[in-house]
Amino acid sequence: MKIIKLFSLSILLLFISKVTGQEFKLGKVSIAELEQKVHPKDSSAAAAILYKKGKTRIEYDQNDGFITITEVETRIKIYKKEGYDWANQNVWYYNQAGFKEKVSFSDAVTYNLVNGKIEKTKLKSDGAFDEVVNKFRGQKKITMPNVKEGSVIEFSYIVRSPSDRIIRDWDFQTSIPVNYSEFSTFVPEYYVFNSRQKGYIFPKITTVKNPKSIVFTNKERSGGGWGNTQTTFSTDKLDYSETQTNYVAVDFPAMKDEAYVNNIDNYTSSIQHELSMTKYPNSQIKMYSTDWNSVVKTIYEYDDFGPELNKTGYFEDDLKKILEGKNTADEKILVILNHVKSNVKWNDYTGYSCDNGVKKAYKEKTGNIADINLMLTAMLRYAGLTANPVLVSTRSNGISIFPNRTAFNYVIAAVETPNGNVLLDASDKFSTPNVLPFRALNWSGRLIRKDGSSEEVDLMPKKASNDIVFMNYSIDAEGKVTGKTRRQCTDYNAMITRDNLNGLKEEEYLEKLENRNKKIEITDYSRKNEKELLLPTIETYSFTGNNLCEVIGGKIYVNPMLFFTNEKNPFKQDVREYPVDFGFPFTDKYNITLQIPDGFVAEVLPEPVVMNMEDNLGSFKFIIATTENMLQINIQHQINEAIVSTEKYEMLKEYYKSMIAKETEKIVLKRI
Amino acid sequence: MKIPFFAFFFFFFINFSFAQKAEYAFTTIADSLKENANAVVRLDQMDINIASQRSMNIKTQRVVTVLNEKGLNNIDAYQHYDKSLGVKSIEATVYDISGKEIKKIKRKDFKDQSAVNGSTLFSDSRVLYLDYTPITYPFTIIYTSEIESSSTAFIPRWYFLGDYNVSVEKCILNVSYLNDLGFKKKEFSFSGFNIKKTVDSDTKLSYAALNILARRVEDYSPSTDDLFPKVMMGLEKFHLEGVDGTATTWEAFGKWYGEKILTGTTTLPEETKVKIKALVGDEKDPIKKAKIIYDYVQKKSRYVNIAVGIGGWKPMLASDVDRLGYGDCKALSNYTKALLQVVDVPSYNTILYGDRYKSNIQSDFVSMQGNHMILAIPNGSHYTWLECTSQDDPFGYQGIFTDDRDVLIIKPEGGEIVRTKLYEDNGNTQKDTGTYTLDEKGNFSGSISIVSGGSQYSSKARLENLQPTEKESHYKEYWSNINNLKLGKISFTNNKENIQFTEDVQVNAVDYAKITGNKMIFNVDAFNQSSANVKRVRNRKNPFQIQRGYLDTDEIEINLPTGFTIEFLPSNVELKGKFGEYKTEIIKKENNKLTYKRSMFLNKGNYSNKEYDEYRLFMEQVSRNDNAKIILTKN
Repeated sequence: MKIIKLFSLSILLLFISKVTGQEFKLGKVSIAELEQKVHPKDSSAAAAILYKKGKTRIEYDQNDGFITITEVETRIKIYKKEGYDWANQNVWYYNQAGFKEKVSFSDAVTYNLVNGKIEKTKLKSDGAFDEVVNKFRGQKKITMPNVKEGSVIEFSYIVRSPSDRIIRDWDFQTSIPVNYSEFSTFVPEYYVFNSRQKGYIFPKITTVKNPKSIVFTNKERSGGGWGNTQTTFSTDKLDYSETQTNYVAVDFPAMKDEAYVNNIDNYTSSIQHELSMTKYPNSQIKMYSTDWNSVVKTIYEYDDFGPELNKTGYFEDDLKKILEGKNTADEKILVILNHVKSNVKWNDYTGYSCDNGVKKAYKEKTGNIADINLMLTAMLRYAGLTANPVLVSTRSNGISIFPNRTAFNYVIAAVETPNGNVLLDASDKFSTPNVLPFRALNWSGRLIRKDGSSEEVDLMPKKASNDIVFMNYSIDAEGKVTGKTRRQCTDYNAMITRDNLNGLKEEEYLEKLENRNKKIEITDYSRKNEKELLLPTIETYSFTGNNLCEVIGGKIYVNPMLFFTNEKNPFKQDVREYPVDFGFPFTDKYNITLQIPDGFVAEVLPEPVVMNMEDNLGSFKFIIATTENMLQINIQHQINEAIVSTEKYEMLKEYYKSMIAKETEKIVLKRI
Repeated sequence: MKIPFFAFFFFFFINFSFAQKAEYAFTTIADSLKENANAVVRLDQMDINIASQRSMNIKTQRVVTVLNEKGLNNIDAYQHYDKSLGVKSIEATVYDISGKEIKKIKRKDFKDQSAVNGSTLFSDSRVLYLDYTPITYPFTIIYTSEIESSSTAFIPRWYFLGDYNVSVEKCILNVSYLNDLGFKKKEFSFSGFNIKKTVDSDTKLSYAALNILARRVEDYSPSTDDLFPKVMMGLEKFHLEGVDGTATTWEAFGKWYGEKILTGTTTLPEETKVKIKALVGDEKDPIKKAKIIYDYVQKKSRYVNIAVGIGGWKPMLASDVDRLGYGDCKALSNYTKALLQVVDVPSYNTILYGDRYKSNIQSDFVSMQGNHMILAIPNGSHYTWLECTSQDDPFGYQGIFTDDRDVLIIKPEGGEIVRTKLYEDNGNTQKDTGTYTLDEKGNFSGSISIVSGGSQYSSKARLENLQPTEKESHYKEYWSNINNLKLGKISFTNNKENIQFTEDVQVNAVDYAKITGNKMIFNVDAFNQSSANVKRVRNRKNPFQIQRGYLDTDEIEINLPTGFTIEFLPSNVELKGKFGEYKTEIIKKENNKLTYKRSMFLNKGNYSNKEYDEYRLFMEQVSRNDNAKIILTKN
């Protein structure tokens, strides 16, 4: 006994010397922490996480086998009223038949400094709530008592999960500064997890191996006869080793959202885990995800993925009919894509595994992304094409960088052709071959072949989407502009145009168009190819406008592009932290003919200009020519990359600045 | 003998069900109902049966033909429930364009979710809702539900037309009630709609409406609540979460509310009383005392809404708020009232609709109404109103959430309808004083002081709480007319005593003025461009309203670059009309200096649809003139 005591004391001593004065322990709130008025490194912070410690252990339970226990303790400082939301906390949990997690909060205390003394207010049951969110999830919530500016709050919670293969994600960063964040995992040798770190700054990592053992209690009945049974207990001991991994983050700044960022979560420092392998004693090693090939293989073998691709019976009759007379790959692709689009509607659920199953989805005419696009892939294969599914992570799901099954939440189809892959998504009305809906445009996806091999596929569009405007107009002496315009959009620009038109009556659409374009009045509107998705959308109309130019002191001042002028620089920030995401490369062209009114001549004309960005990122041309009473102006603005890295931000911002300065330069017309 | 009878019955059934399907085929909808509609409500019927003071049964039947994706919102197949309101049945059936059944949706297929929204931490209210993915449009859904409630304090308001871009083929309301419960009703905005009262007796009320055409959304319209026809209903003898109530007069209702709901909620611990008395000290003036206490509450508390059982209606105990430091509007108002009691300042719980859009308690319809609570302190001939959920609002300030509307104050002697403070148009001010300088390249540098008061105070004072990045984006948005804007020093002064918020901001921008040849062109009004974008509306139907007017005045000194002469100065402008007054003036001074003066006054008011274009043109003139340019020529 003595030895044990001594031993535990030495551990305690060791521990204390290790933390050297930093009291990262519940209940040890200092007066200094309570007195602090602003965060020392971020004076604008409304609150800060003073420390947050989490441990996730996979442990053996006599009744349930290996289970996962996560313990978290947190101390938060509230500096300002705007930080009061941090006094409300919630933790969700699975709560469905066959998979119930348990969450319990404890040690929840608010600390205030009252007349130089620490005042503690404990959370009681009236501040704790358990909410049934839906049939899959519940949520425990607490609201801390007696919170004021300057308060420090503390709480801890435990999540007990019956699963041995889910480690919850841990964020080292959030919208307020984090002074100290520590996360540890304790994983028995029977499991191998892949960890995936995200963000721009990373925690320090250390690993140790701990010896562990499980004591099994066996119950044995002997005797066998009537009323003469004896129960004897025996114990077995199993030794195993456990890997403990610690992640420590010190002084991580607050995350601040920026405009034109694809998804801020991509840049938050965090750690995710995913089971890659199990190797139980006396059983075969089972691989889940160690590299992309095994991730993909695992997914392929899921019942609701691979096998769904092999079912063909449900569509064969229909397909034979529509494929009749279709010989080329392009023809086949189109008719199959259209067949799926018009027959099965997306129910707004993403996922790479089928929900209803392709057969049911086909019959009921509705399904999730996997139902739709795996069905599409199967049909393309049936038609003799080399078609394969491509796993994708949507924009809202973030970017998949490391081999990981949960990195994906979406699937599309790809047909391999001599001219490269043709990417297809039948879940969107306006999607066409190689024009995917915006949600799926997220860096790269993973293509899986029948034999289980896989390769990365670049999802970002390479081909520029065009927006070509022809406009000619005349100006009268009072400054009224009358003209005609024709606008033609291809690929993504066409998709956007169709989205804008979708479901709007012509009158409503024109009203919007008029109000967006300096309140011009539109007549003779017509459009072409709204339904012919492969062709560019074409809109033509006549317009008049009283606000399109200015008559100042008898002279006419006009922006040659009228309502097409880019007047504002979308890049307003001084410093850019994250890449700019345009979604697709594009070319905007304007061919403008301006009729000078009788009795006027051009007094001042903008100089022609050509600008090119480095690395062929983009270019701008402004060319102007005069013929008698006409001005001919050609403008071209072109961005060649879908994603622009932060190093190029300054250049991009300057480019836009110069472009806008040129576009807003006035032509001045004066009386002869 | 039995067999033929069965056969006959069977046939009858088949025929009947077939007939029902055909009735809702798409082709049977009149063209006029499809105009502007995303969905057509074929039948909207509610049967309300009030069997006793403590029992109300409501059957709902809704048949909706959805024409496109936007019409999905108009299916309205959902039902809230809680401990006092149970759902007896709920189901839906989907039919295709021809009226053929394609799917049946049973209760278990409805999603069951907690109905907690953003501002609520916890509530035991839940919702069952239909989540259906359409295969094609149009399609028709028949939705039916039945609920049973022990609370009769809230009889649902009946809206004949629920939304814009929806038309209604047939709409039926049937209510039956016991004679002695004191059932009452009030009709709103019936004129111009084909609504018939089919029954109106001691125990029954029915309405039927036919063919209501779809309306389009139009900016500056009054809310649909004030525009579309509706019926409000109530009982003189009602029941709420275990408590019987009366609503014969406001006086009696207020008395009931005070006695049954509020009584016993304002007890405070002795310790707190002592503390409050010490805090107030020798102060005698009740308003000054209230100010001290309001400040105390603002520092001590935060807003947390927990709606459980009668907690949805009854304030949390003041002693609990004292201990926990949080509560919802009722809890915090009531707590403040309890503290005021300690120092002998009377105050009254006040029930109202809290919203930017001004909306009244219906003074001639005694019933449970409102969604918010504030506190009224008698102050001579009027009241001082306290918004107790805000940690920032100045004492007595009502901003734009509770101003100028009818409210119910609960006095010990009973309820009373009172109007809250009106912020006069010419008191809703923004005064800009500043200067800017242009250099010979057209670069801009300047500074400005913006002082806001009245209802304009409330939208500016929030700037104080913004993060630096949010502040930056606010100003870049506010001055989006200045390209390449860079912000310098920003400082704020919040004078809560006089309700004045001052922003002092330094800005600069390259290329503000456009250089074309040897000319420099720039917009005189750099700092305060009229932001109202009044859209063109083809064939406007709705009246329009301006709920709050304002008065902006600017005086800006402009330093022109050297080496340039003025080629053109915009002339002075004065516009006067029923909507307001606008005036600008440019004064030339020596040393290349100009002074630009601008004032814009907008009246609040209610106007007809015909006047909209007039308003649009007025605002367009303002905006065009705000865009007036100065032209300089290089010497």
